[in-house]
Amino acid sequence: MAASTTLPNTKTTARISENASNSTNQRESSYRHLYIVVEHQDGKPIPVTLEMLGEARRLMDNFNGRYSSSEKVVAVVLGNNIKKLCEELIYYGADAVISVENPNLQYPINLIDTKVISQVARDKICASKISPEYSEEFKKPRYMFFSADNIGRHLSATVLTELESGLASDINKLVIEDLEIKHEHKTKGQLVRYEKTLEMYRPDFSGFLWTTILCLDNRNPAIQREYHPQACSIIPGVFAPLQRDPERKGVIVDFNPELEQADKAVKVLNRQVTKSPVDFDSHKAVISFGRGIKDAPEDNIKLIVQLANELNAEIGVSLPISKKPYSVSEPVSSLYLNPDRVIGTSGRKVAPALYVAIGVSGAMQHIAGMKESGFVIAINADTDSPIKDECDIFIKGRMEDVLPSLIEELKKQKQAMEVHE
Amino acid sequence: MEIAESMAPPLNIAVIVKLEPDFSEGNVSYNSDGTLNRAETKSILGPHSAIATAAAFYAKVKYGAVISIATMGPPIAESALQRAQLISDAETLHLYSDRIFSGADTLATAEVLKTGIKKMEDPGTVDIVFSGHRASDGETGQTGPQTAWKLRYTFLGNVISYNIDMKKRILTAKRLITLQGTPDVIEEIEAPLPVFITVDPSYKSVFNTVSLRLASVKYQKEAEQRAQNYKNYLKIFNAQQLGVDSKFVGLPGSPTIVYKVERIPKARANRRAEVIDGSDRQQLRMAAEKIHEIVGRVVNQ
Repeated sequence: MAASTTLPNTKTTARISENASNSTNQRESSYRHLYIVVEHQDGKPIPVTLEMLGEARRLMDNFNGRYSSSEKVVAVVLGNNIKKLCEELIYYGADAVISVENPNLQYPINLIDTKVISQVARDKICASKISPEYSEEFKKPRYMFFSADNIGRHLSATVLTELESGLASDINKLVIEDLEIKHEHKTKGQLVRYEKTLEMYRPDFSGFLWTTILCLDNRNPAIQREYHPQACSIIPGVFAPLQRDPERKGVIVDFNPELEQADKAVKVLNRQVTKSPVDFDSHKAVISFGRGIKDAPEDNIKLIVQLANELNAEIGVSLPISKKPYSVSEPVSSLYLNPDRVIGTSGRKVAPALYVAIGVSGAMQHIAGMKESGFVIAINADTDSPIKDECDIFIKGRMEDVLPSLIEELKKQKQAMEVHE
Repeated sequence: MEIAESMAPPLNIAVIVKLEPDFSEGNVSYNSDGTLNRAETKSILGPHSAIATAAAFYAKVKYGAVISIATMGPPIAESALQRAQLISDAETLHLYSDRIFSGADTLATAEVLKTGIKKMEDPGTVDIVFSGHRASDGETGQTGPQTAWKLRYTFLGNVISYNIDMKKRILTAKRLITLQGTPDVIEEIEAPLPVFITVDPSYKSVFNTVSLRLASVKYQKEAEQRAQNYKNYLKIFNAQQLGVDSKFVGLPGSPTIVYKVERIPKARANRRAEVIDGSDRQQLRMAAEKIHEIVGRVVNQ
């Protein structure tokens, strides 16, 4: 990520170079449609696939009304026995599906999938079946979406390297806009209009800052280069899928990939379902902790473990905790300051009956991972923490003081209940 | 004994690492609004880079691999290389450092790293490149696979363990695949060398025989000595020495730019909290009752 580039000046008063506008039209015609790389398991779509389709539909409905009605939402799906899936993708918002059916594509393998998707992305015949008017000049998709997970994250990087364009990862907001950009390198300091530009919003690791990434052609004559597609990977669980509508119509295009013999040497030998030692789903209660443990990390974690035992709860953490910010004993560190426990967009999504957030400030990324919980209790000394707007009971106080009393109360009540029985 | 397999051609390994903010207590500094204070925060070898380096050390112990560590960054990134040498007993350290590299996005960074790894190709080609899962600051996880594709190496992500058939030059890896709404899968995959591996955060080297443990101790001692004199192993390349095209690196070579940075606006409140005083026993008692009501009889099981 270009962390410290000069921010472009977006003043609209200056005159835009004529040349830049003319060449825009030529460039324009080569890049069409929004391609979505579908993820599925044995023909069943992973939820993020439908979420991407939903957001793509919303963006392109707007695009179709504003610019051109002949650019489409195109789902690209690789696999074996995927006929039904292709139809489903249309019901969920795709205008067209490019179906690549081949026994060698049963499981995702980065090497083969990258080659096949890149072939699809450059294929004029597919493009002509989707929208005949652009078929001659079609070079590559205008936009491309992948999912930001174990498969899509890597696939997006290798595909976009092959297609020689830019990529933004972990996006949770998208806007298509005409922008006037003045940039030292991209435009050589001139104000240039970039039409139909995808603004890709990415929350940073703290969860407090939003960075907008653009993928822009170099219009500076010294380094002239076209960068399409404008591509990103999308955080699962962020966008809403459309309602399934079996009345929706669309076109399914079959694509025959060229697979090289050598590539078949990369082989999946075995796949086994495994259970993570951290198991949020089978617990009624989840307790998470964040940087609020900082005054006495080891002792506070012990208190949290006590509370978890009392409630038969699984323990989660906020993202900063997984970076092991505190020195605690090795067993505590490897057991709890652990990326596997992260709740949020960088980790897992949970929805227990009871969620207790202890010393968690409530960054957006964390909220995205727990907001569907049944009842939420926060324990925090700071009433200005964003978590206050995401909980049902906010217990104001330091965890060092609150937890022992709370545990004691829980124990007392439990004893009372047992006696009662 | 597997070490005897070093009769086969030696295994050349590269690791790409990154100097990152140190998020540990006492070293990290946050601004009052919760964002990272970069000026006040120290830098270290990134934790995922350290895991990737440990994965390379496994190949040194088990297969007698020769290791090179590479990073792109300012001159102080030497410290990350030194730390990585201490972990891996690397024979060579590469620092790619030039003002024109600064501001690079992941694709322009991958161009430098690819060119650097190609520089390692004499005398033998690089058989495996390791990189970390993602950087703690950027967190894109893109640079690894982008470098892999530029090198034309088979890419394997989220690797939790691996073995090599030294005769056939085939690597077998286990990968952890976690996808939204589906059970986690451990996949076993084989690929002929060369391969590019990003190492899963849960990776752990296992030295499960006496001879491996002895070899591990021997190399660790050697690593301590080497790291003390790390400058003897260090090669620094600027853009010209690397032979990169200035159009493809740094800001000019970056397809993406950061257009704006803003605070994420406060979301509309999803819930209305009842605020209670944590020092008030009566109120805590009510909270405890509510908790029991929700988790119900589960607590008694």
